[in-house]
This record gives sequence, C-alpha cells and structure tokens, in this order.
Amino acid sequence: MSKRVLDYNLNRPFSSSGISLSFIFKDTVLVFSVLTVLVFGLFMLYSASGQSESMVIRQSVYVGLGFMGMLFIAQINPNSYQNILMNLYWIGLVMLIYVLIFPDESHVTKRWIDLGLFSFQPSEVIRLILPLSVAAFLTRKDLKPKYSDWFISLAAVLLVSFLIYRQPDLGTSLIVFISGFLPVFLTGFPLIFIFFGIAFLGALSPIIFSALSAYQQQRILTLFDPNADPLGTGWNIAQSKTAIGSGGFFGKGYLSGTQSQLDFIPESHSDFIFAVIAEELGLIGISILFLAYALIIYRIFSIAYGSETIFGRLASASIGFIFLIFILINVSMVVGIIPVVGVPLPLVSQGGTSLATHLLAFGFVLSVKRKSGW
Amino acid sequence: MFKISDLQSQEASLRGLKARSRLILFFLIIISLAGVIQIVKLTVIDQENYVTESEKNRIIRVPVYPARGLIGLAKDNKLIVENIVAQQLTINSKSTTDIASTIVDIQKTIGIPEEVVRTFYKVLSSNPRNRNITLMDDLTEEQVAKYLVNKERWPSSNLEAYLKRYVIDNSLFSHVVGYTGAISSQEREDDEEYRYSINSRLGKSGIEKTFENELRGKVGYRTVEVDVHGKEVRELEKVLPSKAKNIFLSLDQELQELARKGLRGRRGAVVAIDPNNGLVKVLVSSPDFNPNIFNETAKGDLRSLSFDTNAPFFNRAISGNYPPASTLKPFLGLLGLESEIISWSTEIKDEGFFQIQDEGRKYRGWKEEGHGIVDLNKAIIESSDVYFYELASKTTVDQIHSFLKPFGFGQKTGIQLTGEGDGVLPSRNWKLGRTGDSWFVGDTINLGIGQGYITTTPLQLAVAVSVLATRGKAYKPNIVEKVDTTFIEPELLYQIEIKEERNWKKLEESMISVIRSWNGTAHNIYNPEDFLIAGKTGTAQIKSLTEENLTVQEEYENVRKDIMNRDHAIFVGYGPVPNPNLTVVVVVENGESGSAVAAPIAKLIIDRYQKLQESDV
Repeated sequence: MSKRVLDYNLNRPFSSSGISLSFIFKDTVLVFSVLTVLVFGLFMLYSASGQSESMVIRQSVYVGLGFMGMLFIAQINPNSYQNILMNLYWIGLVMLIYVLIFPDESHVTKRWIDLGLFSFQPSEVIRLILPLSVAAFLTRKDLKPKYSDWFISLAAVLLVSFLIYRQPDLGTSLIVFISGFLPVFLTGFPLIFIFFGIAFLGALSPIIFSALSAYQQQRILTLFDPNADPLGTGWNIAQSKTAIGSGGFFGKGYLSGTQSQLDFIPESHSDFIFAVIAEELGLIGISILFLAYALIIYRIFSIAYGSETIFGRLASASIGFIFLIFILINVSMVVGIIPVVGVPLPLVSQGGTSLATHLLAFGFVLSVKRKSGW
Repeated sequence: MFKISDLQSQEASLRGLKARSRLILFFLIIISLAGVIQIVKLTVIDQENYVTESEKNRIIRVPVYPARGLIGLAKDNKLIVENIVAQQLTINSKSTTDIASTIVDIQKTIGIPEEVVRTFYKVLSSNPRNRNITLMDDLTEEQVAKYLVNKERWPSSNLEAYLKRYVIDNSLFSHVVGYTGAISSQEREDDEEYRYSINSRLGKSGIEKTFENELRGKVGYRTVEVDVHGKEVRELEKVLPSKAKNIFLSLDQELQELARKGLRGRRGAVVAIDPNNGLVKVLVSSPDFNPNIFNETAKGDLRSLSFDTNAPFFNRAISGNYPPASTLKPFLGLLGLESEIISWSTEIKDEGFFQIQDEGRKYRGWKEEGHGIVDLNKAIIESSDVYFYELASKTTVDQIHSFLKPFGFGQKTGIQLTGEGDGVLPSRNWKLGRTGDSWFVGDTINLGIGQGYITTTPLQLAVAVSVLATRGKAYKPNIVEKVDTTFIEPELLYQIEIKEERNWKKLEESMISVIRSWNGTAHNIYNPEDFLIAGKTGTAQIKSLTEENLTVQEEYENVRKDIMNRDHAIFVGYGPVPNPNLTVVVVVENGESGSAVAAPIAKLIIDRYQKLQESDV
C-alpha cells in the first residue's frame, strides 16, 4: 500500500456512490477527447474516400467496437493480468513466425493473417503488445530492473523487429523496435549503452544501406529529392505537399479539396488522410486536431504519473509516447520530411487493426486510473 | 506490508521515470518543431506556389479505347465476329448528391430490371472514386426515346454510344471464338498499364481471350481540363489509339456446319486438320452455346446452360479426355515392327480371348468367337483385340511411353485456345504418383487396345494421325491463319524417323483396307468411286466387362441400359490417299459404334473438302 492511496482514502468524500458517467469513463476528459478525434476522423474519411458511405459505415463499426472494447478494458484491474500481458509476447511471436511461414496468398508481402471474416496484420498488434509485455516483465518485482532484465527485454524486442523486417517491412520493424525499447529506456537503461549503440550503427550505416532491398533504398533516396521523379516514387510526397500547401490557412472547404476529391492523393483514406485534412480545413483544422491530440497525451501522462504501481505508470507512459511518436511519424511522412513508412494517422486513418490497438491501449490507461482512484 | 524502503524506492522510480520522460519529450519536441516549420512553410510561405500546382492538377488525361479487332475466316476474309453500335446509360456519381432518387426515377420512367440496378450499386460501392458508371447496357429504341424526352430531369446521367460484340453465326464457332465479359475487379487490379476502364469488356475464353492483346489494340488518350467535379471543360490534346488487329481463322465454314450437323447435338467432337501444315479446318464441340448471350447481344438464360448436364461450355475437341481405344492400334503395330517384336508375317491364333501364359484372367476380344489366324494387316482391318493384347504383353510400358510420346500423346498441342487438356500417356511413375500402385503387366495389356489409363483429346489424336499421313511429320495445330495481314508460319513439332520407311506405306494400306476391304470395320462408308481414305475405328469402353460367365455381347446388353455407360464411338482417318490434305477425328460420346456413327461424319467432311478444293482452283 502506498502513501498516495492512503491519502486518497482518508480524503475521499462519502457521497461518491452509484454509477455515473465518470465511474464508467474513469477519465472523462480523455474519453471525450478520444471520441472527438474519432468522430472528426469519420467525417474526414467520408471526404477522403470520395464520399463512400460503405467505407465510413465499415469504419464506424470498428470505431464502435473499439470504443466499447476500450471501456471494457478500463473496468479491469491491470495488476490482475500483469503476468498474462508478459506472456502475450509469445502469442505475438508465434503470429509473426506464422505469417512468415504461411503467408496469406492474397497479399504480396507476408504481413497478413486471414481469419475468414476479416484479416489483420500481426505487426500492428505487436506494436501494442510489445511495450506492455516488456513493461510487465521489467516491473514484475517492483524493483529497479537488473541488467539481465534489460538485456533479456532488448533481445526479445530485437527478435520481433527482425521478424517484421523479414516480412519485409523496414518501417514497421523500426517502429516496433522503438515501442519495445521505450519501457527499457524509461526504467533508466544507462545512456552510455545507447551512445555506444548509436555510434556502432553510424559506423555500419553504409553497409546496412547496401543490404537494404532496392525498394527501401529508393524510398530513402526519394526523400532527398522527391521532385526527381514526380510520376514515380516521389508522386505521393509531391501530391501530398501540394495538397497541404494549397489548403493554406483556412483550407478549401470540406469536400471541396481538388487534390483529394479528384484523386490526386494516393492512399488518401489511409496513410495520407492528413493531407486531405490540411487541404480542406487548412492550418486551422490541423491545429484543432493537434489540440485534441495534445489533450489526449496530456491526460495519459497525468494518469501515468498519478499511478500507484510502477507497472501501471511505466506501461501508461510508454503508451503515451507511442501514440505521440505515431502522430509525429505520420505527419512528418505526409509533409515530406521523413521517408514514406506505412504508419496510419492514429484514430483517423481508415483501418480496423490500428484503430483497435490504440483504443484498447487507451482502455488500459483508463484502467490504471481506476486503480489509483479505488 | 507497509515499508519505508518501499516508499522510497517508489518515489525514486517515479523521479527516474519523469527524468527519462522529459528526455524523450525534449527529443520529440525538436522533431515536432521540424514538422511544424514544414507545415507553416507549406501552408503560409509557399501557399501561392502550391495553389498553382494544384490548379495544374486539374488537367487530366482521359484514355481513348480503340474499337475491338474483328475475327474472320482466312478463306474469303468472311467475318464471324463483329462490333455493332448500341446505346448505354451512364451515371456520373460525382455530379449528383442524391444518386438513389435519380436512379429510382430513371428506373420507373424507362423501365430497368431490378437486378441491373443492383449490379450498378455493387460496382458503385466497390469503386467509390469512379465517376462514370454504366447503369444499363444495350437500351432498346423505346428506352432511348423515353430517356431523351425526360433527360433534363437527370443531369447526372448520360447516353453514350458504344460498340458491342456480336458473333454472326451464333453457335457455329462458339468454342473457338469464345466470348467477352465485363472486367472483373481482379483483372482491373492486374491491369498495371491502365489499358482498361471500369466499363471495359475483355476476352474471357477462346480466341477472344488468347488474342486479347491483338484484339484490344493500344489505348490512346485525350488531355482535358476538368472542373472541381471532374467534369470536362475543354480538350487540349488528343493522341489517337492505334488500331486493333483483326484475327483470321483457318476454319472452313461449310465443313464446320457439316460437322455440327453430323453430330446432331449429341455429346461429341469433330476435329479436322491439314496434316501438311497443322491448319485446323474443323473444330466442333457438341453441344454448343451462343456466345452472344455472354456478349450480351442476345437474350438467353446462362444459368440453365451452366447447369446443363451435357456441359455445353466444355470444349470437348481440345479438353475432353477419351480413351483412344482401337484407334491406337496402328501406332502400336508400328511400335511392334520398330522394336522387332513382330513382323508383317507374324501370325497368332485369335480364339476370342488372351491369357498370360495360358492362365489367369481372360482378356476378351470384342468378337466372341475370335478372328482365327491373324497377322498385323488383318489385326488392323478387323481390329483384333487379342493380337494387340499379345503384342502388348511382349512390350513394356516404358517402350510404349517413349514410342508414343513424339506423336504428341499425353501433352498439350499448344493450340491458341483456352483450356486445352493434356490427355494421359501413362508411365510407371505416372501411375505411382496417381494411384500409389506400381505398374502391372495387366495395365500394359489394356494399353494394347488403347484402354486403361491412356486418354487423349480429339485434337491430340488428330495430330498423331497426321503423323501417319505425313510419314513422320508432326505440325503444331494452328487455328489462326493470319493476324491482320501477317500469316502465321506452320511450326514443325517433331520429325519421327523409323528404321523401315516402307512400314509407313504398308500401315497406310492396312488402314485403307479398314474401309475398302469387305471385312474392314469401316467398310460401310466405302464407295468405289470416291477418293481413298485411310482410317481406323474405335469403341472406347466406359465400363469394364468382367463377368467371365457371360459373353461380351450378353454382358454389354446389361451395361448399355444406362445411356451414360454406353461406349464412345471414335473414328480417325485421313484422305485422299495419296497426297492426303485432311485428317479427321470424330468422337461421339456414348455413340457405341465407331463405324456406324463416327466414320460417316468423317467421310462426309473429307469428301466435301475435296470438292471445295476443286472449286477453289
């Protein structure tokens, strides 16, 4: 029992009884910010998909299911399944090996598992599982992790990243590595090791570049000169920059973006939906979206720091950072300052797996808050 | 349960976490700054440039599709598949906010079937970005009139003329020309060069499919300026499509009709090729279908056709696998001579059955009392099973396999049509792989009369028989004689050399006697005034006869009660001898008698072909 809980229980008013919204939601601000972004996302998807009602309806179903899943998880005491979370790693590992050995024939890359009713990418799921199970592993004894714990975690993270790299999916592999490394870093992994690691990679970078596949090399090269081949690999970036730039301060108006509506932005409903938002709603629209995102992240960290268990704190903080990093990567990619990697804009881009992972992660964060308020 | 050291470590870990978090946050804020600067640069500083850039984007290219190439016959350049003009109604899904009410209104006014509307919505929902989607093809004159009167009410709709595919002779060439169909979503995905639009139709089977590239031609384009709704404002540039190529077939219409009539709608196939160059003159599979139903230029019920147990879509001429039965005997005779197992003077006593070393299972011949003393010549003329059982028992399956392979058995001929079958030329490994059993001597004996595991397609059999006609030359069968004005050269597949050249001629004489000699199995088609034809009948058993205590005749009487169990009638032949110019293979499923049912059709075709040749000269 920590001092905080003691304090809280002593000061707790007697009147808080019965089921209220705040009882189910745990953190009303967080839940409503998430809901705002979700609804905003559905409206933008309608525009970005060329006003396809069927696509919006399908996405609405994912949103509804994900939202309910989030509220459900929020009601469960996270410590009760810390061990299970730790072992989820193995399930993730098995799924990744499975897609490499039995690739789904309908896709070119070995990323998909087809469950008949729907198919999903295990690498998207692992982005959530990995930080949680590493956090669960590192905090299983409520003490500062030992060196051996850190290195076991690092090995586990590297193994998973390597499997995803073999799919082949370099972008996701790096992102998964970062998300798995976050809890390790947050528990105080010595900085000296990280400096050595970066120096080592820097020295090896020419060799690594030559080992990359041609299409990955092309993607990196395109970044430095996207105008070199405006009809080939640079097309996405050039068109998306044109869309964002021509949107200006106020935007061209909802459903009136020429770039978006005339289909000049490839993947406008998924990875490049940010360009549609910028074109139609302008800098103002982007700023409002960023504000909602900022509110979500702020609430996640408040909950994290207020948590009484090391596990809840570490896992929540990792989730907050991963969410922020995803937004940063997607936006940087769409505005053309990093290479195109397949990262959707969280809570907005079309796609069920990514949406569900984020919402379930928020459910976890909410459940951590419940713990502190019990 | 409550320890001071716990509290301290809790506090320390929280401090540590916060310190590390700040470190990451600092790093991420630096990156975010780069992003924010970029966004401001794009939307504020460079905005003017990008507005111009997006304006430029409004200039788009619209593909222009050439008219589909025609299909004709090389003889007299007679057309058999052409394009006819029709009217279609398209809907621009971008220029209306309320598609549903527009569609309901149009449907009520001009009369559109419910399932057509349903298909439209299916295409619409799977292609949300597509602007012009066909609502209905092939409008009647009445529908066009009703539309034109009311068209002001539906600004998002448009009447467009288009070309549709029409097969002039309906069913006559159905299995050869094939049919076209609407492009599938899979085909659109595979179409990386944007050669098709969502409304395109393309070849789905037959020549329409195998010559899709030639018939389609090269797509051109128009550069046009469009408004924000994608509507064309003006045309800036036009690159015409290159003309599609026309395909001319080697088939002969009169012979084709004759063969089709000869089969009288029974299940079967007729193939005729010129043995000297492989040009296909007749390719009929029966029953057939009207390709215009697929082309949507004729009304008809596809469902009932596809559930028809006679399988009218199945191209029996190139895909049907039949046992060659006795038509294999001349080839095996040649094998016996080549490997010196027999000579022309080798005689056996045919008592109606064969047993290995006079014991074990009785392999019965078709003639109960036997053919008496038989040599190779008589064995071919009277089709003695026992002679060939005995011959087969002295060879091995390996010998048979390697001897028959160059004749084309067991492999695709490579004709330019879809769905060609392989046939089966069995070997030890084939049987092991197929059934898990090793090869038995009994299997070889069955091969002796062309039964058992061996099967061929009628086209394969025609190629093999042509080798006999040309004394060793096998040409690849060729159904397309020219593409536009370019003739396709005959392709020699292989040249078979035998030790005794004169055996070709002697074998041919035996096959002539099959028809000319009074005891020949096809003597019924003999006419002393006509050209000489070399041939061989065959009766392919569907059900093996095994009852030892019944005679063949008695047992077959029971079997034939079920029509589907009756034997297939086969006839192969070529003529005129000397200088044959046509090889004909006729297969009539469950036709029972090669001589009575199949041979007369072949004879008619060969005779008519000679008359046509004369009148051409």
